[in-house]
Amino acid sequence: MPVISPDAFAPPPANDMAVPVAAALREKVRRLERAYSAQRAGQEAVPLGVPAIDALLPNGLLTGALHEIEAGPTPSGRVAAHDGAATGFAAHLLGRFGTLRPNGTLLWCRRPFGASDAPPYAPALAAWFDPARLLMVTVRRDEDLFWAMEEGLRSGMAAVLGETRATDLVAGRRLSLAAEKSGVPALLLRGQPAPTQSVCTTRWRVASAATHSTPGLNDVGASRWRIELRRNRFGVPSVTETPTWLLEWNDETHCLSVVPQAFHGSTRESDARLVG
Amino acid sequence: MRLADARALLPDLVTTPGEPQADQRLIETLANWCDRYTPWVAIDPLGGALAEEGIEACSTGGFGGDAGLLLDVSGCAHLFGQGEAGERALLADLTERLARHDLTCRAAMADTAGAAWALARFAERQADLYCPPRGHREALAKLPVEGLRLDAPIIETFLKLGLRRIGDLYPLPRAPLARRFGDQPLTRLDQALGTIVEPIEPRRTPPAFRTRLAFVEPIGRPEDIAAATSRLLAALCRQFEQAGVGARRLEIALYRVDGSVDRTAIGTSRPNRDNPKLMKLFEEKLGELDPGFGVELMILAAPEVEAWDGTQDALPDAGAIAASLGEDGTIDLADRLALRLGPENVVRLLPRDSHLPERVQTAGAAAKPAAAGAWKRVAGMKGARPTRLLQRPEPVDVMAHVPDDPPSVFHWRQHAHRIVRAEGPERVADEWWRPRPDGSRPPANIVPPYRDYYRVEDDDGGRFWLFRDGPYRMAANGRQTARWFLHGFCA
Repeated sequence: MPVISPDAFAPPPANDMAVPVAAALREKVRRLERAYSAQRAGQEAVPLGVPAIDALLPNGLLTGALHEIEAGPTPSGRVAAHDGAATGFAAHLLGRFGTLRPNGTLLWCRRPFGASDAPPYAPALAAWFDPARLLMVTVRRDEDLFWAMEEGLRSGMAAVLGETRATDLVAGRRLSLAAEKSGVPALLLRGQPAPTQSVCTTRWRVASAATHSTPGLNDVGASRWRIELRRNRFGVPSVTETPTWLLEWNDETHCLSVVPQAFHGSTRESDARLVG
Repeated sequence: MRLADARALLPDLVTTPGEPQADQRLIETLANWCDRYTPWVAIDPLGGALAEEGIEACSTGGFGGDAGLLLDVSGCAHLFGQGEAGERALLADLTERLARHDLTCRAAMADTAGAAWALARFAERQADLYCPPRGHREALAKLPVEGLRLDAPIIETFLKLGLRRIGDLYPLPRAPLARRFGDQPLTRLDQALGTIVEPIEPRRTPPAFRTRLAFVEPIGRPEDIAAATSRLLAALCRQFEQAGVGARRLEIALYRVDGSVDRTAIGTSRPNRDNPKLMKLFEEKLGELDPGFGVELMILAAPEVEAWDGTQDALPDAGAIAASLGEDGTIDLADRLALRLGPENVVRLLPRDSHLPERVQTAGAAAKPAAAGAWKRVAGMKGARPTRLLQRPEPVDVMAHVPDDPPSVFHWRQHAHRIVRAEGPERVADEWWRPRPDGSRPPANIVPPYRDYYRVEDDDGGRFWLFRDGPYRMAANGRQTARWFLHGFCA
């Protein structure tokens, strides 16, 4: 696993007039955001396993940080009540973080939805990690959810995931600080897009995308997700405003890969022209 | 006597309505309070039964009627002094403390419960209330026969026959007595004399492990209570170490100066005797305790213990062993979470061999995770499964071109999902070997009900897990067509 060298967080050399104002301001914001925090230096990072995405992250996903995953609207603008794709991506991240401590416990906290509740289903999660490592916690109130997550972060779990719709800035900051202190990754999984203010390190929007059938057949192919990296605090700024990828999860090789643009038919006009 | 008659005799009579339930509550509070002397406290079953009927509560005519408490203080009196002096001191302490609460009581101590019962009610002099060891035979001889806890008709006959004192019964031949009055007089006499054992059934099972801490001055500050708990815990953990056990449940009781008792308990998912860890659990709960006007006694008890199976702390390789046992903080975390959220809300997912998707995943105790790889085996045997499974499959309206085909459109929660791709069916048959919910077994000679599962993708890219409940049928002769359900959401 790559370990972030203290140099990565060292402030860049003194600013001279040649650096444009935008870059100077960005640098200032990064300082405010504790990008060079001493606690971050030496923290481990886990690569996502997709080179195109990892290029934008500081060596990978930081362990001692809060990451948010939200279920995005489908191309027709519909938000599903329960989203299988976001759950799959969250499980993938849990699995990636879980590799750092192969026997560690993964804490999954959730608040059930009453009669129409759809809890995560272990036989499917087994593709990403061993569900025997999961400690499932159900809570009745959002306060309890954040409390349980914080307790988990302080107790040295391998990773902590919380499933919620609540947007609590104070709770988010507390989680972020607890994660930074303990070096345990914290994940928030949201069933719907959340407001943009947040203290998370990365925020991902995951939407289910059409799969590719076997030629001549009408079957459901390997799962595809359209993923947007909507926030990336310590990473490399991207060329586009929100970098977007179409990813495919191969259930046999257990690999996540970017679908080549030419193959996925496109959802955007510019892509269509590019493909020709 | 009726109230009207009583008023005629004594016009100034002060009356209040009887409140049997309040009386019962008071006696229960008193019984709780008496736990300070011994864990073996019972409410006199005789008194309880009569009080519920609410009539003739004073049938025996002794002091205080039939209501009473029985305390087995064997092995407890030495805390108050050596030998007889200690027993007398305990008795005096009990009476005096109750008097401070404005409760009049008569407490007697004797070798048997029956003798103490009789003495408390019928002893003529204060000095007779304490009966020295093996002195109960003479002490009882002087008391009236009412002291034997007999039914009223038997007492009446005894009195008519001139048997006024219990001592009068000693020389009588047993066989004719039994023939005439039945078993009761002899049983009661033998119980009072100690010839047959009369067990006292405690209100709560006395814990095997218990420590107490009494305070000269009542305490009330939360820090003091925490400090006292910590001391009690240290003492109890030493007891655990000697006995080779660990606590599964600990109960702390605060005896307040006003005579009431407040309790709280913690549970652990594994036998535990780690003082700091248990203290951490208690810290969550101590806030719930109300010291009231002050606490004069605290008792920490372990009602549930189990053989200690923990690892030694100071092994060179302790870290690795602990991680393999899941003791790298997971168990402690689970205990802390369970304390606040309830143990049923902090669970492990366990696989179960079953055909029905909803039965495959069950919840188990946090301390006992599934074996590594057990899930892989279960998951490997099945087809593609959804990442989320609806707890209750939701009915959907479908349209299909051909009856046996996957649907082309399904409506779920007011949305139409046009299906572009579909996979299936995967047939899942009912488990005929499992009894039905009503306990009957399904008949073996018919085809068990089954479901056909399809994995479908709609034009929006959403992937769903649908099933048709049984084979397709024409809707005719009042029969319904097979219904479709949504059961899960695929990655």
